[in-house]
Amino acid sequence: MEKIIEKLNLKEFWKDLKKFRFTKANVRTIAVYSFLLLFAIFVFIPFYWMILTSLKTLEEIETALQPSLWVKFKDMAFYNYYSALQAAPYIRYMANTVLIAFISTVGTIVTTISAAFAFARLNFKGRDTLFLALIATMMIPGEMFVITNYLTVTGLGWASPFTQTFPEAIMALSFPFMTSVFYIFFLRQTFKTIPDELYLAAKVDGTSDFKYLRRIMVPIASPTIITIIILNAMGTWSAYIWPNLVTSKEEYRLVTNGLRNAYTQNQGIAYNEAMAAAMIVTFPLLIVFLLLKKYIMRGVSRAGTKG
Amino acid sequence: MLEKQSNVKAWLYLLPALALLSVFTFYPLFNAFLLAFLKDYVYGSATGFVFMDNFKNVIADPNFNQAVKNTSIIVFVSVPISVTVALMISVLLNSIKKFQGLLQTIFFLPYVTNAIAIGMAFAFIFNESYGLLNLMLSWVNIDPVDWLGSWETGMVSLLIYTVWGGLAFKIMVFLSGLQSIDKQYYDAARVDATPKFRVFTRITVPLLSPMIAYITVTSFIGSFKAYRTIVGLFGPTVLPAGTLPDESFITIVGLIYESLSKSDTPGMVSEAAAASILLFITTLAFTIVNMWVSKKRVHF
Amino acid sequence: MEIKLQDLTKIFQAKDKTETVAVKSLDITIPSGKLIGLLGPSGCGKSTTLYMIAGLLKPNNGRIFFGDEDVTDMAPEDRGIGLVFQNYALYPHMSVQQNIMFPLENIKVPKDEALVRAQEMADLVGIGDLMSRKPKQLSGGQQQRVAIARALVKKPRVLLLDEPLSNLDARLRLQTREEIKRIQRETGITTIFVTHDQEEAMSISDEIVLMELGEKRQMGEPQDVYDFPNNLFVARFLGTPPINMYDGVISKKNVLVNGKAIGTTKGADGEVFVGIRPEGYIIDKDGPLELTVYMVETIGRDTALIIKVPNTENDTFRVIVDASERIKPGEVVKMKIKPKKMFVFNKETGELIN
Repeated sequence: MEKIIEKLNLKEFWKDLKKFRFTKANVRTIAVYSFLLLFAIFVFIPFYWMILTSLKTLEEIETALQPSLWVKFKDMAFYNYYSALQAAPYIRYMANTVLIAFISTVGTIVTTISAAFAFARLNFKGRDTLFLALIATMMIPGEMFVITNYLTVTGLGWASPFTQTFPEAIMALSFPFMTSVFYIFFLRQTFKTIPDELYLAAKVDGTSDFKYLRRIMVPIASPTIITIIILNAMGTWSAYIWPNLVTSKEEYRLVTNGLRNAYTQNQGIAYNEAMAAAMIVTFPLLIVFLLLKKYIMRGVSRAGTKG
Repeated sequence: MLEKQSNVKAWLYLLPALALLSVFTFYPLFNAFLLAFLKDYVYGSATGFVFMDNFKNVIADPNFNQAVKNTSIIVFVSVPISVTVALMISVLLNSIKKFQGLLQTIFFLPYVTNAIAIGMAFAFIFNESYGLLNLMLSWVNIDPVDWLGSWETGMVSLLIYTVWGGLAFKIMVFLSGLQSIDKQYYDAARVDATPKFRVFTRITVPLLSPMIAYITVTSFIGSFKAYRTIVGLFGPTVLPAGTLPDESFITIVGLIYESLSKSDTPGMVSEAAAASILLFITTLAFTIVNMWVSKKRVHF
Repeated sequence: MEIKLQDLTKIFQAKDKTETVAVKSLDITIPSGKLIGLLGPSGCGKSTTLYMIAGLLKPNNGRIFFGDEDVTDMAPEDRGIGLVFQNYALYPHMSVQQNIMFPLENIKVPKDEALVRAQEMADLVGIGDLMSRKPKQLSGGQQQRVAIARALVKKPRVLLLDEPLSNLDARLRLQTREEIKRIQRETGITTIFVTHDQEEAMSISDEIVLMELGEKRQMGEPQDVYDFPNNLFVARFLGTPPINMYDGVISKKNVLVNGKAIGTTKGADGEVFVGIRPEGYIIDKDGPLELTVYMVETIGRDTALIIKVPNTENDTFRVIVDASERIKPGEVVKMKIKPKKMFVFNKETGELIN
C-alpha cells in the first residue's frame, strides 16, 4: 500500500494543488482529467457492481428501497462465494478448463513454433504462397469453420449427445485449438527479427536446424511465446460457444458455460450468488492481466502494427 | 536465408500445424460452400444439390430480417462511437503525466475479461428494481425503466455494453500507436504555434491513420459477429420461446448457431452454412471498402 | 535581434531523484544578425541551451532576453522562433508545400499570401520545384532545406538549428553548410546552431561558443578562439589534428619540456601543461626538441609526422610540416617551436598562462 501511495506521488500532488490558479491551461487540464475520470468510472462500474453485489446479502438486495453503493466490511456476505461454488461444480469446471487450456496451449506452442520456424528460416517451394493462404484465412469469420468442425467432431463420435466420454470431450474441446494462424504469423514476425547471421553462424558450426530452433530461436523469442501462452490460456478460460456446442454432459463443461448455464432464469435468480460466480470467473483473469500486462500488451501492439 | 532449398525438412516442420489446419480450417471452409448447396442435408447425407434454395430459406426465415436489423444497429452505432471515444481517451491519456499508469490500467481491464461474466454484471446494472442505472436515473428524478424488458431499451443496453467491451483493445492499439509517434512533431507544432485541436486533426490523426484504419476494419468485422455479448446480457437462448421475431436480439451469428442447434432437422446445417457465407461476403465487402477508403486516406 | 542568456541553469531530475546539472549559470550575449555555433562534446548542454532558447525546456534559473524583452516564461509559440530539428520533424503525411505553409495556417495568414510566401522560402532554400513531393521522396539534404524553409516562412526573430548537418553524408555536409551560411546572410536573421563538429562550427560561424559540462568555456570568432584558447579544454577541443600536449615545467620564465627550453612565458615557476599546435613546429637543426619519426603521412600539401612520445596522454603526436621536406620513418628530426602556436596551461585549473 505504501508503495502504491508513493507511486501516486500524492504529496507532490497536494503541493501542486496548493499552487493552483485558474489559467486557461489549468482549465484545460481539469477538463481532460474530468473526461478521463468519467470514462474510467464507466469502465470500472461493471467490475465494481459485480464485486459489490457479490458481497451483499439477498435480503439487502431485495428489501433495500434503493441499492446501496457500499457494503461495510462486517456486513459483507462472503458466504455468497461458498454458495456459488455449491450451486454448480465450478471446481470441476475449472479443472476441465485448466486441463483443456494446458493441452491446447502445449499443442499450439509446438505446432506454431515449428511452422513459424519453417516460414521464417527455411527455404522451400511455395513458401510465400502458402503463407499468404494462411494469412487470408484470418479474414474469414470463425463461424464458417465452426459448422463443419461441429459436424467433424460429432462424426468422429466425440460429441455424441448421450454417450460422450470424458476423453472424447477433451479431444473435441482441444483438437480444433491446437494451432492458430495468428500465432504462426506472430511468431514468424518475431523469428524474422533474429539476424540471419546467427543462423548462418550456427550452420557453419554444424548445428542442426532443430538444435538451432531449440537453443537459439526459442529462447530469443521467449517473450512472444509467453504472450501466446497467456492469450491462449485466457482464450480457453473465456471460451463459450464451442464448449457449449460439443459438451453434452454437465460435468464436462468449462467455467464460462457453467457460469452462464447456472444463472439463466430471470425469475428468482440469487443475484448476489450469480455475481459471486461471475467474480470467480473474472478474478483469475484480472490477476493474470495485472501481473502479466507487459506480455499481453506485446500481443496487442503486434496485432495493431502488423494487422 | 540459405540458398539451398530444403523442401522435405520444411514440410516436416509444417506438418503438425498444416494437418490441424487442413482438418479444422481449410476443409471446413470448402465444406461450408459445399453444404450451402446441398439439398436436405442431415447426418452426413443429402438428397442432391440445390442452387439458391438454402440461401432463400435463410432470407425467408422470419428471424433473418431481425438478425440483419440487430446486427446492423450494433455495427453502425457501436463501432463509430467506440472508435471515436477510444481515440479521444487515448489522445488525452497520452497527454497527461499524473495518474497515467493507473488510468491506463483501468482502461485496459475490459480487454481480458469474460464476455459472459461481464454481460451478467451489466444485466444486473440494467435490472429494473435493483440495478445501478435506475438508481442513478432516480437521482435526476427519472422513473425506473425495465431496460432489458423491451427491444428498444434492450438494444440501448446492448449498445452500451458493446461499446464498453470494445474500448480496451482500441485504446491499447491507439496508445501504442501514439507512443510510437516521434515527439519532435509535437515540438515542431508547438514552435509553430499550432492550436491543440489543429495538432489533433492535422498531426495526430494523420500519423495515427494506419492504426485507425486497422481498428475500424477489425471492429467492423468483430461487431458483425456479435453474439457472445448478447448471450452474456440476455441469456443463452437468443430466441427465447414466446418472443415475437421483432423483439428478439438475434444476430446473424445467433441465427447460424440457432440453425446449427437444429442439426437433426434436414437442411438446417445447410442453412447455417448459407448464413455463414452471407456473413463472410458481407464482412469481406466491408473490409474491401474499408481498405479502399483507407488507401485514399491513410498516409504512408 | 540580440539574444541574452543570463545565469541560465537547467537541472534534470531522474526518476530516482538524482539530479543532473545540464546547463550551469550560462551567460551569453548573442549579437543581432549573426550566425552563432554552440559547440561542445555530447552531453555538454548545448542542445539543452538551444531548447531553452526555443522555450521547449524551462530553465530552473536565469533569464532569457530577446532584445529587451524577457521571454523566459513565454511559451515557445509566442517567442517568434524558427526551429530546425535534428531529424527535421517534417510531417510525413504532408507535401513540401503543406509542410512549409503549416506555420502560416496557424497564424491565419490568408491562403494566397501563404502560397506566395511558401514559394519564396522554397526558392530561397533552392527547393522551389519540389513543392508537391512528400518528405519521403526527398533526399536528406532536400528534407533539411524544407525544414529550414518551414522554420523561416513565418519570419521568425531567431532561427535555431539543432545539429543541422549530422544526418547528412560528408559531401552534402560541405554543400549544406555553405547553404546555411548563404541563407543566413540573405535573411540577416540571428541564427544559433548546435553542433559537436568543430570543423563545421569553425567554418560557418561568425562566433562560436564552446561549452563543456554545462558551462561556457570560451566565446569568440572562430579563428580568435583557435589562436587564443583560454583554457586546456578549448585548446584540446579545437583543431585537427588535435593539439599536442606535453607535461612541462616553468623555470625562470622558461618553458621546459623534457628538460629543454622551448619557449618563454610570463608564468611563475611550477609544473604546467604545454600545448603545441601540430603546425607550430619548424625543422631546425639547432632546435631544442629532438623527435624520432615513427611514421610519415603525406597528404598533398602537408606532411604529418607521427611521433611516439612516451609519458604523454596520447602516446603519439602529429607534427605538420611542409610536404617538400622529405623525411623518412626512423629519422631523428630537430625542431623549434613557433611561439604563437605554444600555449602554457595551469596544471590544476587548466587556465591559460602564456
